[in-house]
Amino acid sequence: MGQKWLISGSPGCGKTTWILNTIKRNQGACGYLRLTEQANNGQKKSPESLIDSTFLKDQVPHLQDLSDCPDISISKHKDLLIFVELSQSHSPEKLEAVGINPYVKSQLESLKLQPDRHLHFGRDSELPNNDTLVFKDLASWSLNLARSVWDPQSLNTFWFELVNGAYGDVYRAKGLMNLPDGQSIFFNWIVSQKGSQFLPLKTVSPPNGRPERPSGLVIQGQGLDCINIQSTINLCLLNDALLEMHQMPLRDRQPEALRAS
Amino acid sequence: MIERWALVSGLKGDLETYELIQRDLKKARGVTALFVLGDMIGPERNCDALLNRLQNPRRDELQPQCIYGWWEEQLLAEQGLRGEQKADALRLNQGEEVVSALLNAVDTYHLKWLSSLQFGFIELDCGLIHGSSADIGDNLTSETSPLILIDRLTRLDVNRLFTAHSTKQFHLELTGGGLDSQVKDLNGESQHKQKVSKQSIIGIGAGASYTIYDVGSDKTHFLTAVGQCNTPSKGFA
Amino acid sequence: MKHAVISCLHANLAAVKAVLNDIDQKGISDITCLGDLVGYGPQPNEVVDLVRELDIACCQGCWDEDIIEGLNACECSYPSQLAEKRGHLAHQWTAEQLTDINKDFLASLPTSIRRDRILFVHGSPNSQHEYLLPDMNAFAALERVEKAGADTLFCGHTHQPYVRDLKNGSIRVRLQNTSNHNAEEKEINLPMRKIVNAGSVGEPRHGSTNATYVIHDDVTGQVEIKEVVYDIGLTCQAIIDAGLPRIFAWRLSHGFEFAEQAEDASHVCER
Repeated sequence: MGQKWLISGSPGCGKTTWILNTIKRNQGACGYLRLTEQANNGQKKSPESLIDSTFLKDQVPHLQDLSDCPDISISKHKDLLIFVELSQSHSPEKLEAVGINPYVKSQLESLKLQPDRHLHFGRDSELPNNDTLVFKDLASWSLNLARSVWDPQSLNTFWFELVNGAYGDVYRAKGLMNLPDGQSIFFNWIVSQKGSQFLPLKTVSPPNGRPERPSGLVIQGQGLDCINIQSTINLCLLNDALLEMHQMPLRDRQPEALRAS
Repeated sequence: MIERWALVSGLKGDLETYELIQRDLKKARGVTALFVLGDMIGPERNCDALLNRLQNPRRDELQPQCIYGWWEEQLLAEQGLRGEQKADALRLNQGEEVVSALLNAVDTYHLKWLSSLQFGFIELDCGLIHGSSADIGDNLTSETSPLILIDRLTRLDVNRLFTAHSTKQFHLELTGGGLDSQVKDLNGESQHKQKVSKQSIIGIGAGASYTIYDVGSDKTHFLTAVGQCNTPSKGFA
Repeated sequence: MKHAVISCLHANLAAVKAVLNDIDQKGISDITCLGDLVGYGPQPNEVVDLVRELDIACCQGCWDEDIIEGLNACECSYPSQLAEKRGHLAHQWTAEQLTDINKDFLASLPTSIRRDRILFVHGSPNSQHEYLLPDMNAFAALERVEKAGADTLFCGHTHQPYVRDLKNGSIRVRLQNTSNHNAEEKEINLPMRKIVNAGSVGEPRHGSTNATYVIHDDVTGQVEIKEVVYDIGLTCQAIIDAGLPRIFAWRLSHGFEFAEQAEDASHVCER
């Protein structure tokens, strides 16, 4: 018999990682859906949902991504263990009374998803207590990076500057970044934890032009210098000619030849 | 399996010598690759026949793998294929007449192929290059300071460097030694002893003088291709 | 007699003034500068004016050369696309700011200065763009000093100050050629040499934000590395006021270079 679990918590508390580990342990079929606290201006998926669902699908290929399902059909997945992830940037004052806001409620109702369990990070002891930071008035900035490919060394520099405060107080940053060799790397950083997590996705695109898979960046913090974040990113992304220069030698791997500089 | 490389340079348009070398190589056992380390052209004779042959090898002969050398660099520069540079080194050393002679010695048809050639090859832990990565005209000989030789090996990050520009045949092995280095900075002092790595520089010769390198045993054989009636003479084995 | 060697000023006036003041307080009047007077920093004219006014002996750095000859540094000297684009931006801004007199001054600088057996260069005797890092292959490092015909080589460019003594060196070789049937063996003893990197006044990268320079005693051969505190906030404000990218101020105030250092530091552009 299928189960529906609602997993909520503040950004960076470890929801996606916990869901991933639980899915990996679970023998049966699982489904995944991400809800937002606020309406999304008609956009189907926010960059954050895209990042999370793409990452989970890559790690667990048999996972069913339910976010694109027509509303009525989700309730038909009777045998699935369904995880509904809910990010709450405004933590409730009292943890005991973790409320689900009316917008989320209406989403759950329209999807005919009545959670069998609701687990909240910071309240339920079976969840790891990774993050005790309570974020209030978090600014959030995101960018869809579909078909964008980074100069790898520039990406290193940008990420270093970003998480060290060059563009405002960043509490959380998460991204899926395309590299010219066809790799997509999951970048994950939170202020309360040491160092960034860099996980290459298992799925690699051929080094042949711009990859079609999802890519994006989400940043949460305070006093974010969004203009300079965007302009720095623009300086880091490869144009077609440079992308081809990176990819050409990977395509026709010949005996190593020296070129005069 | 025996793997041996033949290394040739400085043919300067001499197809006859190239054919003599190819004839020798047919008789030699285990030669699997032929590297031509530049100076396929020169001002003394018309080079088109040799260039045609290098680009269209006969089916029964070793396929040459070519890189460009000092003379190709001069020609390509003079023909405007090296940015704003011209054949200044040649003009300065040998005069305008030789520059003209070089231009006349090579049909412009070959420029596309010549300009597509690489600066050098890295095979296994060996660097194959006309001069060195410091300069295409780097004149490395057995008399060159071993410090310079170590520098050239370090730049390419290889253990063996095959060079041709000096036209000399030699095999110089670095067999031992070291150098103490003491560094002081704001964090304190540190000591380090840099040891000489077992590395070699091999001069492969030019024209009829060529080299066979036995990859497995790391042995070098200096040979000279001679006319039809004679057998090839072995310089050193 | 003691003399001071400064390098890589990078148009950081507050840092230059603090270092010159420190040198003056030590009663040293003999100063040699290893170039990169300008680049990234907000006060190129002020720094060049000051160096000219004090008549400090200078060699030309890679930035000084590039400002005169148009952007000459090859792409390979930048470690990333981001660093390259930021470098180009700084280059363009500096070229616009510099007066003709100051450009002429930078153009007139020699690539090296020799005093008997001491050679002063910006990068290495090979190139203004070559980095001589403290952990570079010791033989290759010694080759640079030997090539220069010097006992002591002063350089900058890496922004990390150090003193490196190279001694007790020898190389054994075995030679085979067409004229000797038996291999010939010989051993070469190497001379003792010193490399001194003066660090950076205007763009430090040694783990602190302080300006660095060195003092050399040409009688005893002793070299001291000096660190000088300066008002970094003044320079950061000047960067923002000048309209240069804010990130330059952030990087400077955290002790990072304006642009990252080349990954392959020993790379020499073969332009």
